[in-house]
This record gives sequence, C-alpha cells and structure tokens, in this order.
Amino acid sequence: MNLKIPAVQYIEDVKNGNISAEDFTAATIEHIKKIDKKLHAFLEVNSEAVDKAREIDKKIKSGEKVGKFFGMPMSIKDNICIKDSKTTCASLMLENFIAPYDATVISKLKNEDAVFVGKTNLDEFAMGLTTEFSAYGPSRNPWNTDYVPGGSSGGSGVSVSAYECLASLGSDTGGSVRNPASFCGVVGYKPTYGLVSRYGLISYANSIEQIGPMTRTVKDCALVLNTIAGEDPNDSTTIDSKNQDYLTDIDAGIDGKKIGIIKEMTGEGIDSSVLSATNDAVKKLEGLGATCDEVSLDMVKYSVASYYTITATEAGSNLARYDNLRYGYDFPLEGFEFNSYISKARQKFGPEVTRRMILGGFVPSSGHAGKYYLKAIKVKSKLTEEVNDAFKTYDYLISPTVPILPFKIGEKIDDPVSLFLVDINTVAANLTGKPAISIPYTISNGLPIGIQLLAKPMADKALLQAAYALESTIKHPEVPI
Amino acid sequence: MVSEEEIEKVAKLMKIEVTDHKEYVEKVHKMIDYFDILDSAGVEEYDFSTKEVPLGELREDKHIAYDEKLIEKLKNYKEKFIRAPKMI
Repeated sequence: MNLKIPAVQYIEDVKNGNISAEDFTAATIEHIKKIDKKLHAFLEVNSEAVDKAREIDKKIKSGEKVGKFFGMPMSIKDNICIKDSKTTCASLMLENFIAPYDATVISKLKNEDAVFVGKTNLDEFAMGLTTEFSAYGPSRNPWNTDYVPGGSSGGSGVSVSAYECLASLGSDTGGSVRNPASFCGVVGYKPTYGLVSRYGLISYANSIEQIGPMTRTVKDCALVLNTIAGEDPNDSTTIDSKNQDYLTDIDAGIDGKKIGIIKEMTGEGIDSSVLSATNDAVKKLEGLGATCDEVSLDMVKYSVASYYTITATEAGSNLARYDNLRYGYDFPLEGFEFNSYISKARQKFGPEVTRRMILGGFVPSSGHAGKYYLKAIKVKSKLTEEVNDAFKTYDYLISPTVPILPFKIGEKIDDPVSLFLVDINTVAANLTGKPAISIPYTISNGLPIGIQLLAKPMADKALLQAAYALESTIKHPEVPI
Repeated sequence: MVSEEEIEKVAKLMKIEVTDHKEYVEKVHKMIDYFDILDSAGVEEYDFSTKEVPLGELREDKHIAYDEKLIEKLKNYKEKFIRAPKMI
C-alpha cells in the first residue's frame, strides 16, 4: 500500500475502487506501530480506526451516501476534544480526562467520514515550539531524529511528514502549526482569525489562536479547510466563510500580483541558508509574474514581547480552571487548606506551563499592567495598522516561516528568551488576525526550510492560490524514513 | 527592574508551589526582563483599538439540554451529588 499519496488522490482511489478505506487505514496503523516508537508523534492511537474505515467501505458498497473524505486517515492534536476519547493536552493534569463532547471541527470531519487514527503530541497546553515540553516526552523530527520537529503541534507535523496519516489538525497561537510544518517539511495553515471554530479546542490564548490543517500538499490543505471553515453558534468569534470553495481555481496563479518581502523578518539573526531559500522563492514568484519588493513593518521587533505578554495573560486566566476541583486528576490528599490544596495539585503542571502561569499573573497585575500588558496590546494594534497599510499596496507578504533551521533536542530548552525569538516571523499573523501558510520549500544540511506567505483577512482562497503557485515550482525531496 | 520577591509574591497569588523555586524565579525573571523591550516601542501615546460586539449578535442565552448524564462521567459521585475533597 502506497501511504505517500496525497489526500485528494486517496479520495479518488477509494471512490474508483482502486483501494479500500479499510486496507489503507490498516496499513497506516501498521506503519504507525512500526515507526512511532522512534518518532513519538502520537500520544494515543485509535484502536477502532480500522473498524470505522470498514464501516465506510460498507457504506460505499451498499450505495449509501458517503462523506467526502471516504475514510481518510487523519491525526488530531491532543488539545482538540473528540467525544469519549482522552484529551490530555500532553499534561499530567489531564492525564485521564475523557472529553464529553466533540469539538466543532471534529463533528464536521466526522460528518464527512474522516477516520481519526490517533491524538498527537504537543508542548503541554500548546505552550512551546519544540514539543519538548510534552509531559510524555518529545516528538522527533523525521528528517533527523536528533532534532526537534517544532511545535507546539509537533506531533501533528511529524505524523504528516512521516506518512502516519494523510492530514492532521493542529492549533496555531503564535506559529504552532506553521513552525512544525516548516521544521518537518509539510504544509501548515493558520486561517483568518474566526474562520474556523475554536469550540472544543482547549484554550490557551483565545483572542489570537486558530485551528489549522497540516498536510503534505497545498491542495490537501484546501480540501480540509473546505470542511472545517464556517460560522459556529458555539464560538461567537467565528465569521461567515461565505461558503468559499478553496479548491476551485487553486491553480489561478499569481500573475500581476504584488508581494512585499518583510524586511524585519529577513534581516538580523537569519540563518544564511534560510535567507538564500527565501531569496530563491522570491525569484520563483517573480518568474510566475508577481512583482516583489521590500516592505518594512517597524513593530515586528516588538511583536514577540507583545505576543508573550498577551498569551501569558490569557493563559493565566485559562489555566485557573485546573485547580483539581473543576478540572484535574485523581489526587488522594485531603484535609488541606483551600489554597494549599490547589497549590499542591498544580504541581502536576510542567515547567513551561508553571512559568507561563506565573508570567500570566505578573504582567497584567496591578502596578505592572501599564508597563507590560497595556503596551503589548498597543503594539498589537499598531502592528495591525502597519500590516493593513502594507496590504493597501501588496496582495501578499512573504518571509521565511522560521529564521533558523531546526535545532537539536535539548539545545535551547534552558534558554526561554532564545526560544521566544524563534517565533519572530510567525506571531505577526496571529496578533493581526491574518491568514498565513508555511510551504515546504527546500532542504539544507538534511533539514527542511519553509516559506511563509500572508494575505488580507478573508483572502484565504487567494492565499492558497499563491501557495499552490509557489509549491508548483518546487520538487521537495522525500523524508528519509 | 522587577525584583525576585515580586515574582514570588505573584506565584503565591497564582497558587503555584514549586520545589526548585530558585530556577523558576530566575527563568521568569529573564522572560520579564526581555519584555522591557516594549518600553522602546514608542506606543505610550498610541490608542489601541477594540472590537465591540453588540449583544444582538451573540447567540441566545438559553439552556440546551445535554443528551447524556454528564455526572456519570465523574468518578466520585453518588446519585446527584459530587464528592469533593475535604478542605480545612
């Protein structure tokens, strides 16, 4: 069974009877069993996936209506709720938490007959960008297992890259879909804020996070987005997707489009091979008829501090519910004073979550809010204004997804500020609510480099068209597994 | 410059108790020091934007019955009561 086919081809092959959903899913599960001991993309593999695929085959044979995914095997980041299955957020705090309902994105995928092969690893509560902060151990980059796969949706990135599924869902708060997509050599998409419902996504920083697809091709990304996008009464921040079909006209091209190269994301601190890949991508886009020139976004240099201040504040509030009274785990101790009981229960949080909670209490607190939180939201607003101004001239903005190559596991774990700076190219899309995509572009020293494109809000279709155009100029090598 | 005592006070208020205390405070201190970069953004006089959502655009505030007994998903319950830990 060829597990390397794109999702759109899988659907055609099942429709035409060339392969069965059951055989494909069974081969996928076998592959996971074989390879995931080394990669650790999954926290849990769904033992019922093959049965589910068999049911779909039965529906096809009996002529019943079948959802448009035809049993396509997908993995799901373990901070998205699937009813009656464990949702741990890679935390010991939620070690045995069984979700009592489906996230909206999950209901939509189930309605279209996707099959979930398992829940993927992440940095605890999605706080991190290497997947090293998972309480269950790090995932490993399939291009070189000594290296981090990026994060926080690292398990999703690995599972797509290593053919352990055809597509995955991650969540992107400051680059958590695009960063692992870049490090693992796959496509990662952060939709316009509000395009995809967050209902059933365990909250980290509600005002900027979005669920997004991770796939091996841009077409597959459009296919998944078609299903998960749309207004949801259970998430008041969602917007009308206007029933866009992101696959139709995906090959429209970018002839005559204007692209701004973000100066602050291609300057100081960028790895020379990443810069060279970015320049090469710009040339390719020009070759396709686009006009590219440099644009300056002054607030980018403050964006990481703004991002971490805002996310810590929202995380501090969101994590308050894990007090072992509302959410928590089996904690045998009794008889403590109220505050002491909660403090003891919270010792199950890992180091990064603990640090973010302390930060989240500090930066918006009385006496400090003016210096930190207020300035952070002002930077966010000013950055949004700068990006909106840029989009008056340009159709797209371009940068490398991450300014450096993937690094070794453990290399940066003790230096939080150097880890912060890895986010510098991705946080702007979240802070400004813009759609952004990472496209696997090339390989340097055996490690992938991704290129990021951004577009205006609700220009998701146009963004996928540009990404498809860039992808069509590349022959990306196969992952060496 | 933020003092370590201030960070410790906030950690206590956030009901965080850690064993390797010094290491946590040092790392949080480093992070907060980095946030000082916001002082040079020149946004003091800048007014930030907010988005107002009229009440009419929010979903109706009505009870929707759940199709299952959620209480049965809890480990420590008896009939319609939840067993919580004893506190002083």
